[in-house]
Amino acid sequence: MKKYKLTIGWLYPELMSTYGDRGNIIVLQKRCEWRGIDAEILKFDLGFKISDLRKCDLLFMGGAQDRQQQIVAEDLMSKRSALKTMIEEGVSGLYICGAYQFLGKYYKEANGTKIPGLDILDLYTENPGTDGSRLIGNTIAETSDGNVVGFENHGGRTCLGKQVKPFGKVIKGFGNNGKDQTEGAIYKNSFGTYFHGPILPKNPEFADYLIELALKKKYGSPIILSHLDDSLEKKARDAIANKLGVKL
Amino acid sequence: MLNIFAIIIGKVISTLSATFNLGSGSTWPGHIALSSNPNFIRELIIKNSKLQTVLIAGTNGKTTTGKLIQTILEQNEKSVFQNAAGANLTNGIASSLIYNSDLSGNIKKDIAVFEIDENTLPLVLKEIPNPNYIILLNLFRDQLDRYGEVNTIASKWKKALEKISNTTLILNAEDPLIAHLASHLKGVNVKYFGAKTVSDRKFNQHASDSTYCPECGNKLIYKSIFFSHLGNWSCEKCGLSSPQDRFTNSTYFPLTGIYNEYNTNAAVLLTKCLGISDEKITKALKHFQPAFGRQEIINYKGKNIQIFLSKNPTGFNESLRTIVANKAKNVLIVLNDRIPDGRDVSWIWDVDFENFSSLFKNVTVSGDRTFDMGLRLKYAEFGNFQTEENLSSAINQAISKTSKDEILYILPTYSAMLEVRKILTGKKIL
Repeated sequence: MKKYKLTIGWLYPELMSTYGDRGNIIVLQKRCEWRGIDAEILKFDLGFKISDLRKCDLLFMGGAQDRQQQIVAEDLMSKRSALKTMIEEGVSGLYICGAYQFLGKYYKEANGTKIPGLDILDLYTENPGTDGSRLIGNTIAETSDGNVVGFENHGGRTCLGKQVKPFGKVIKGFGNNGKDQTEGAIYKNSFGTYFHGPILPKNPEFADYLIELALKKKYGSPIILSHLDDSLEKKARDAIANKLGVKL
Repeated sequence: MLNIFAIIIGKVISTLSATFNLGSGSTWPGHIALSSNPNFIRELIIKNSKLQTVLIAGTNGKTTTGKLIQTILEQNEKSVFQNAAGANLTNGIASSLIYNSDLSGNIKKDIAVFEIDENTLPLVLKEIPNPNYIILLNLFRDQLDRYGEVNTIASKWKKALEKISNTTLILNAEDPLIAHLASHLKGVNVKYFGAKTVSDRKFNQHASDSTYCPECGNKLIYKSIFFSHLGNWSCEKCGLSSPQDRFTNSTYFPLTGIYNEYNTNAAVLLTKCLGISDEKITKALKHFQPAFGRQEIINYKGKNIQIFLSKNPTGFNESLRTIVANKAKNVLIVLNDRIPDGRDVSWIWDVDFENFSSLFKNVTVSGDRTFDMGLRLKYAEFGNFQTEENLSSAINQAISKTSKDEILYILPTYSAMLEVRKILTGKKIL
């Protein structure tokens, strides 16, 4: 059997990793390894080289505390065009919470200050400040490939433009803005979402989908992943669904 | 008059609650007193001007540090009272004032030691504006759904501390956010504590929060790291560094773990400030009994169980490291997601389970989020672990695998610890 290999780029693991988001990297890595696919994790911290980023088949970036997000914003702005090219070319990626907001046009802070985003995805985020509380809790969204289970915790409300599709429709929880029932965004092979939890351990099908997208892009044809025993994953999903009174 | 009424009601409630084992006696009396008089705490503190007050805040170690202080002081003929462990909001403080005062609100104790919830500290400093001592232990990520981010808490503390005077601050020199709190304060006395044991570097740690300079935002350089972001830090850009004049050498440490080295040094430094001699402190520490759930040993069905409360990534890593040092073979992990635990359990992915995957013989997992913890262990490649949602059954299974000369180590989150103790002792504590 042919030996496959994926290079997974983890953007700002030190600064953008506050809500257990590294669980997503662990899951991607293990689900590759358990199938005999080599998974190399490249970490990109402040001042990384763009040429290294271009080696990646799959990108991941998590959320962070406000202050750390400011530090990252400066660094990331200088790499905008490389990241945009990769996203446009269809490099698959998962962007959680703060990272998801970064990809949009702007983030308006509670005090009205507008922080420009990378303007790669057609969306923007506004924090209503004292008029609205943080959107916190267990959440479930329906996507074209089944239900996704997670935990959200965000102050910003995101509105999607026409160039992106929502990642899912909220069944329980708030999603992008607590109003239009949309959750996250999809653009080409990039996925933005507010789902922490972290998202991938309890949504192994989504994890595998990201791996498949990356393999397909790299090797030019669809690759069928071998079956893994996900019974524990199913129990963890069911526990949340029961708590929320939803049948998965 | 209002306060007398509140005190009487409070005392009646606490008696009823104790008689009927209702388990809410440490917060309800205070809650009622504060509803009838929001200034209740302030008025009692003013009335008892001779009472010395010590406030303790920080993510980890509040209860143990408070218990260490109480032990040292009581062994040296001082009368002390504390709010009940975990009852660390204003209602818990008000309740403890009710228990320890007579009907007119007079308190005949020397020293009050209050552990204070991170978010509640600014509020408490409004009610107790000039405490004699404030001990600030550390800030780690903990319950982000409830507390927000550590930087946010630090800036709230900083603002609240600007108003105090005649207070001695006792700060952890090795936590950058804590050490920096005093840097722009005037008119306060500041003392620092630290630790001596250098981290066992074979365990690399992921759960760090504050590795950036609190003054200028540059990345900090560490000469040595004790755990998480605690260590000998300095900033190359602005020159800020961990205060070197720090107390690190208690002569006796009653509990294992580096985190308890910090707790002990903080408690010893405080009692030295209160004029107790080193020799008397050491002697008193030998009488120390751990607070419930904090390395507390309980005998159950003829087997020894030791409970290590583990409620956030740093605490969990340190618990694991400490039980490994104790050659633990049998471990039961209990993960709940109730309000005192934090509804968001994603933090378990920040615990470095990968460092411990092959070190235990029997691992059992239980709690509200049994399967989330199970997944965490699965992805850390723990070879063989059992999942059991029912806590009593999980304890029994784990105990049955533990031989008579071994210890079952239970690592629970907060509400899980209360449940475990209730099963093991048949009593409620909060």
